[in-house]
Amino acid sequence: MLTFDHYLTPKSLDEAFDVLQRMPAARLLAGATDLLPWAREGRAGDVHLPAVVDLSRIAALGGISQEGARIRIGATTPISALQRHPLLMQQAPVLGACALWFADDQIREQATVGGNLVNASPAGDTQPALLALNTHVTLVRREGDRLIERSVPLSEFILGPSRTMLQPGEILLRLEFDALPNHGVAFEKVGHRRSLAISTVCLATLVHLDASKRIDDLRIAIGAVGPVPERLTDIEDLLTGVTPTSAALREASVRVADRVRSRSRQSYRREVLSNFVERSLAAAIAHAGLDLPRIPKESQNV
Amino acid sequence: MSDTLLDGGTLAEGCHPTTEINATVNGRKVQRRVPNHYRVIDFVREELKLTGNKEGCGAGECGTCSMFVDGKLIKSCLAPVQKINGCSVETIDDLDRDAGMSLLQQAFHKCGASQCGYCIPGMVMAATSTLRRNPGASRDEIKEGLGGNICRCTGYQKILDAVELARDIQSGAVPASALEEDAEAHSFIGQRTRRLDAPAKVTGAIKYAADMFMPNMLHMQVVRSPHPHARIVRIDAETARAIPGVECILTCDDVPGVDNFGVFIEDQPTLARGVVRYVGEAVVAVAAETLDIARAAVAAIHVEYEKLPSLFDPHTAMHDGAVQLHGFAQNNICKHTRIRKGDVDAALASADVIVEQTYDTQSVEHAYLEPEAGLAYVEADGCVTVQSPSQNITHHRHMLARILGRPINKVRMIMSTVGGGFGGKEDMIYQGMLALAAIKTRRPVRYVFTREESIKVSAKRHPFNIRYTMGLKRDGRIVATKMVMVADGGAYALSTPGVMNKSAILGPGPYDIANVWVDSIGVYTNNTPSGAFRAFGAFQSEFATECHLDLCAQRLGMDPVALRRINLMRDGATTHTRQQLDRVLAVECLEAAIKAAGWDAGVPYRQGQGKPQRNDFNYEGSRQSYLIGGQTQPLVPRASSKSDVHPVKISIN
Ligand SMILES: Cc1cc2nc3c(=O)[nH]c(=O)nc-3n(C[C@H](O)[C@H](O)[C@H](O)COP(=O)(O)OP(=O)(O)OC[C@H]3O[C@@H](n4cnc5c(N)ncnc54)[C@H](O)[C@@H]3O)c2cc1C
Ligand code: FES
Ligand code: FES
Repeated sequence: MLTFDHYLTPKSLDEAFDVLQRMPAARLLAGATDLLPWAREGRAGDVHLPAVVDLSRIAALGGISQEGARIRIGATTPISALQRHPLLMQQAPVLGACALWFADDQIREQATVGGNLVNASPAGDTQPALLALNTHVTLVRREGDRLIERSVPLSEFILGPSRTMLQPGEILLRLEFDALPNHGVAFEKVGHRRSLAISTVCLATLVHLDASKRIDDLRIAIGAVGPVPERLTDIEDLLTGVTPTSAALREASVRVADRVRSRSRQSYRREVLSNFVERSLAAAIAHAGLDLPRIPKESQNV
Repeated sequence: MSDTLLDGGTLAEGCHPTTEINATVNGRKVQRRVPNHYRVIDFVREELKLTGNKEGCGAGECGTCSMFVDGKLIKSCLAPVQKINGCSVETIDDLDRDAGMSLLQQAFHKCGASQCGYCIPGMVMAATSTLRRNPGASRDEIKEGLGGNICRCTGYQKILDAVELARDIQSGAVPASALEEDAEAHSFIGQRTRRLDAPAKVTGAIKYAADMFMPNMLHMQVVRSPHPHARIVRIDAETARAIPGVECILTCDDVPGVDNFGVFIEDQPTLARGVVRYVGEAVVAVAAETLDIARAAVAAIHVEYEKLPSLFDPHTAMHDGAVQLHGFAQNNICKHTRIRKGDVDAALASADVIVEQTYDTQSVEHAYLEPEAGLAYVEADGCVTVQSPSQNITHHRHMLARILGRPINKVRMIMSTVGGGFGGKEDMIYQGMLALAAIKTRRPVRYVFTREESIKVSAKRHPFNIRYTMGLKRDGRIVATKMVMVADGGAYALSTPGVMNKSAILGPGPYDIANVWVDSIGVYTNNTPSGAFRAFGAFQSEFATECHLDLCAQRLGMDPVALRRINLMRDGATTHTRQQLDRVLAVECLEAAIKAAGWDAGVPYRQGQGKPQRNDFNYEGSRQSYLIGGQTQPLVPRASSKSDVHPVKISIN
């Protein structure tokens, strides 16, 4: 059970920093979907905090906008917005494909994008999708009476399970990435069940084909198979500049097994990851306009 | 900092800080001061006493607590109460706007879409949300909208049918008369008959034990063992006793009667007596003015243990020299059931093929949506009453009378609505403490388990280890079956003896076998007690039998259905326990099942043997698998017009 002396609902960043200054041990909270289950028996147990700072009513942390070629998503944006926001559906559809697999409708209304990143669970579903978008996160702190922002690549922001670059007194403000309206996308995930589908393997693929149907930009990011999400740069390099064929996708898929670093369910994860790489490549390439027949696989359960 | 920011909490001396909440709930303005740490569900259920919405897991996973906040459906167990300040909340209690039942609720009633009913308020809320968002939602969209809500009873089909019916009536595609009750037929068999309790279940009006409040009621919490096997050296409850609001603290010393109970074997104390035998065993019970005080008291109780060697494996537990968990059970054997029919050794010697294999089944949690709960009180005439979802109240009443040392007419058990049981609520694991606390304090006492507590302490399905030997003739005739089954019974017997009997009697399956040998052994260990669970032991042994027959079919190069057809009992068969049967419909049953399944005869694993693929998947008339993303716009096609990339089929891997 989570108990606390104060629950504060600041309306502005300044008010939030006032609280953090007065009570440095205060804990930030957005959707509470990680924090409340965490403070339960079997996890952290009973947790008492001097104060909880609910960020959800700070306007500066919300909102989805486009500035030039860049898309900005406020930290407290709920996952449901990734699924429905017209701008994102057009310019970054991989996020919608990812949101589709994220928990259930109700959790998606509560859970926020920022919470998913700061929580830094190895199974956080938005991480691979955002990594494939080359996302930068913007962090904000207050020095004196000035708000100071810094922007870091998501790949550097997440350090390990539950560990990020966020410093005490700092708030995750927003995410930023380039609009990619012409990339084909795919998102794959397996988890134990539909809701609370904590990923066992998840993967996001973005691909762009040039006029002659050659791959000129490929980004594949995997999650849940190691402490932090990562890009499959070797596969990206292998296939970039290539006119994709079914055989090339199969070849790429068999190379990824050694990327599984989780300690549990290793062989299962390896098989799934390899299948995912092939299937998501085919799906993303099809989405980008080139249908490739799939090479059948022999049955493996004999 | 601005003063308004600190308005959120005030710290009253000695208790949890409180917060003032202003919200509109079901159309009415409410203003209440509640503990700071309340979640929205606590506010609605404990403070406003609106108990239509339930709490099943408290962790966002089951959906029994789904309610609307400012029009958005959320899991109210994951929302701090402060989130509804200035907002409007809608719960199931008033969904009908005082008009009896909403259209959806009527459709649930019509379709028989409620069994235990515990999930139904959440389901109705999720369905309401789905149809509000899209009145023309497809079946896949409806599935998607209900994806955060679990049901452990209905299998979902009737729930989905109900939502579709409501949708179609709302759109005018189906007349409202479709909601009327079917005409009464001469026979109930094969007829849709309305459940009497369904209206109360679809509206959330029915009360489960955790929904009951009584004036002056106390709350119970329990100190549980962190060790699988240990001697209790000392219990220090002085600090806890001194906490204001703690009304009573119970240990085994407070049990006035015979403190040994159980379904088949009386081996269980109400609260651990001298030793604990599994992680989660109840040691001390506390009743206090509020749940928070009871929890604080539990945290303040110190129990000193001396750890003892533990047994986790039933095979090890049977060894000579293993620690003895109960004085009376030699080699820790709780129950050994034997079946001997014919001469198995001779028959095996005459067999053309002998197939041997070992099967293991795991411990399984019932995961009924309603965690254990109960309310006990003493009536004016001195009769102590316990209301709880007990699946076996008469027996519980007898056991309780003995524990309390009272005549049976001074003990009453009322079976509250069972929010799912599946055998798991057959055991009496907390009713004794509740009754004792009510007698001691002369006040009503309520105890509601958390989901974690339920999983930790309630009985599980027995894990079995089954060594199987079967002898067959080349034509598929089974000549002998030998099953040696060892089951982990856990720390207390509960239903183990009955489960051993049933696993033995039904284990070799509905097959006519002349020579049968079965050993079914239930063993005490320091694991969570095993108990009754749907099929009561037959599940485990028949699972092994059916797997084994598939294996035999493969060895013989036969169609697994053909192998069963050869061996099924027919009219006049003798069962494994030598009962003569006149009429047996097993073959007819099998024929109907293979027809319904579109079974494609032949050996399994054809693909692996280079033979053509089976063709009984996705055949005409079979149910299609579900597409996720029903309610999302499909991906905007990029260069090509191919848009079959998404939605995605779930459960492909
Ligand atoms: C039933 C269930 C199913 C789930 N399914 C999934 C799933 O499928 N995929 C998945 O990835 N996750 C899943 N989750 C986990 C969870 O919903 C997500 O991680 C969610 O994105 C967390 O967001 P939140 O706003 O609720 O986080 P909170 O619990 O509010 O916060 C999480 C952490 O982030 C910090 N924080 C939040 N916002 C900020 C900010 N702006 N700046 C700095 N720190 C901040 C908090 O202090 C806290 O440490 C599930 C959770 C539940 C309960
Ligand atoms: S989801 Fe809230 S009680 Fe289960
Ligand atoms: S009716 Fe759904 S859980 Fe029982």
